[in-house]
Amino acid sequence: MDLFEAARGLIPLRRRVRIGVTGLRRAGKTSLLTSLAVNLLTMGRGANALPSLTTHLAGRKLKVVVTPSGAESLPRFDAIGKSAALAADPPGWPKPTDAVSLLSLDLDIDQGGTFSMLPPQMLRLEFLDYPGEWLLDLPLLGQDFATWSETTLRRLERHPEAREFLGYVSGLPAGVAAEESLIRNGHELYVAALRALQARGLSLLQPGRFLMPAPGEAPPWQHFFPILGSGKLASLMQQRFEAYTKAVAESLAEPGFANIDRLVVAADLLSALHAGKAAFDDAAAALGLVAGALSQRKPLPLLPSWLQPWGISRIAFAATKADHVASRQRANLQALMERLTEAPGHATWRGFALAAINCTEDFVWTLDGRPVSAVRGHVNGQGVVRSYPGEVPDRTPDLSDWAHPFLSLPDFTPKKLESGGRGAIPQLELDRLLVFLLEDML
Amino acid sequence: MTETQLAPRVSPRIEVENPIGLRLEPEQLPAVIQPDSEPRRTGTLGLVAWGAGVLIAGLSALSIGNFIADEFTRAQWLGWLTSGVAATGAALIAAAFWRELSFLHRLDGVDRLRAELADPARAKRAAQTWLASLPHSEGIAPALDAATSPEAINALLRAGPAKVIAEQAQTLGRTAATQMLAVTAAVPSPALDGVIVTLRGIRLVRQVAALYGFRPGTLGTIALLRRTLLSGVYVTGTNIAVDTLVKAVISNPALQTFAGDVAGAGIAARRMIVLARATAAACSPVAPD
Repeated sequence: MDLFEAARGLIPLRRRVRIGVTGLRRAGKTSLLTSLAVNLLTMGRGANALPSLTTHLAGRKLKVVVTPSGAESLPRFDAIGKSAALAADPPGWPKPTDAVSLLSLDLDIDQGGTFSMLPPQMLRLEFLDYPGEWLLDLPLLGQDFATWSETTLRRLERHPEAREFLGYVSGLPAGVAAEESLIRNGHELYVAALRALQARGLSLLQPGRFLMPAPGEAPPWQHFFPILGSGKLASLMQQRFEAYTKAVAESLAEPGFANIDRLVVAADLLSALHAGKAAFDDAAAALGLVAGALSQRKPLPLLPSWLQPWGISRIAFAATKADHVASRQRANLQALMERLTEAPGHATWRGFALAAINCTEDFVWTLDGRPVSAVRGHVNGQGVVRSYPGEVPDRTPDLSDWAHPFLSLPDFTPKKLESGGRGAIPQLELDRLLVFLLEDML
Repeated sequence: MTETQLAPRVSPRIEVENPIGLRLEPEQLPAVIQPDSEPRRTGTLGLVAWGAGVLIAGLSALSIGNFIADEFTRAQWLGWLTSGVAATGAALIAAAFWRELSFLHRLDGVDRLRAELADPARAKRAAQTWLASLPHSEGIAPALDAATSPEAINALLRAGPAKVIAEQAQTLGRTAATQMLAVTAAVPSPALDGVIVTLRGIRLVRQVAALYGFRPGTLGTIALLRRTLLSGVYVTGTNIAVDTLVKAVISNPALQTFAGDVAGAGIAARRMIVLARATAAACSPVAPD
């Protein structure tokens, strides 16, 4: 720790760091937040739940408490409740997020060495959990209706699931009136196509609220679909698209993402590998769009990151569920994530292959007379299952990679958790991710 | 090298290894390696002190033994009388040691109690045990019985008995600070100031410890002072609160004159307030806010 960091401890103020935890659908964001919260609270009780953080703190004591809720409008993330469900028998995985929620922890970190008599550093970590579907609305903010329609319709042409919708749109007569029944029909066909593509494992599906509606009755402007041309119907669709993006900007982007200092973008690349080339390319495109949309604001030059009034200074791209492959393959998974994502120049970024909740153990399996690194874990109703799903490429998969199958991931159950879920949750690389996000603040 | 030149890939597969296998057990967490975790060796001064202690205790025991044997050679009743006197003295010394050791054990118990209060399975029982050792704490018992999480239990203790005792400790600290202001101004010798501040500080530590049900002897006070010094690191975070208290203490016009005239009077007062807070933090099983 340098003199500057130590002197900052003299200021009796708690610095706030807001960390956005976003990602593609079913990437395991809720598990990631649960594990982060429970392991940090366990660290505060003296256990070495996050070894990399312990090493980084170099003997400095850490106190962690859940920040008491104030009068904010954001609902709180119930990490303890979710952890208790994981510890139950049979365990229950946290339900996917269907609304924005906030997890806030207060950290008091003892000053070390020469400065140990100074007051502790005080940090408030605010993790913002954001539904994966809604995340893909953010790139819409920088697009106009015509561009979005053209891009979306061209993308849909590659998928047979969208054939019915594409036929409907192309069959609409030129200059057709903006009849509500026509609009509803087109909207329903478009949503059905999105759902079918989602079921096939695709991620780049916009608008997000069509798949994960916000609570309450849907307003009329939420009924639209992509269409080319300039007739009355297209004009109304454009108005509704603009109303939608305005609502996204006002109700979601401003209160939440505007103040984010650090960002975690999670994606389940292993499932995308299993789903095939189309799903994988789609996930890669979605990741790129999201990273670009979230880092549009540029930081002020010459100011240290903690003084920046806006801008995301660190981005972690996390390939989740890495416990489904053995440690030798996790390095490949991390390299693959880094190849697929490229953060804008001003942000420090890194790829990770992590498991927020490690359900497996590695072992060497002799298959076809050759030893391979595999994993074993417990699956409800099947007992202990051993898995070697295939080779993870360390770069964007090419034709030779797609020629070999990558099996679906078994639904492993979490390992036994101590103290009703209040003890440490086994994790892989989550500690390194946290240190990366906070190393300039600790 | 092309794909065809590479060895063929192993076919992936997923198999059931043990249909009746149970959920996996988590690995043991790696131990926390503290920078000062090297085993401590006794220093030169420590060896000298131990040697002196062994010589004094051993030679005293031998002398007493020889003396008792001599007395028996003179007269039976003289021997028994000397034995009785020696046994009484030894018993009193042992009682003092026992008291010190039991205090040290109870002081370690604060850490155990803290760990138990953080454990969901033991928090409620630990809180009830601590409450039972405190006077006038029945008020929060129903709320404590209804509390379901260690966080809620700790919050109840913090808001209830821990707060009351902390306020009493603060009052003791303020009183000692006022006394120090007056004494520092009245005593003519700066060297004597130091002695008085030290003695008053030790008394304050023992007074605050008594609020938590501790009655430390000499060794216990030394252990408590050491522990207080460590907890002082955390208490210095409350500098602003301490400043406010010092200002409140010297708001008395007469004391204000003294404090203005005598360099170090304010520092001595400040030390008393910090010492009271640090001792309270060292003795309380409930972590402060």
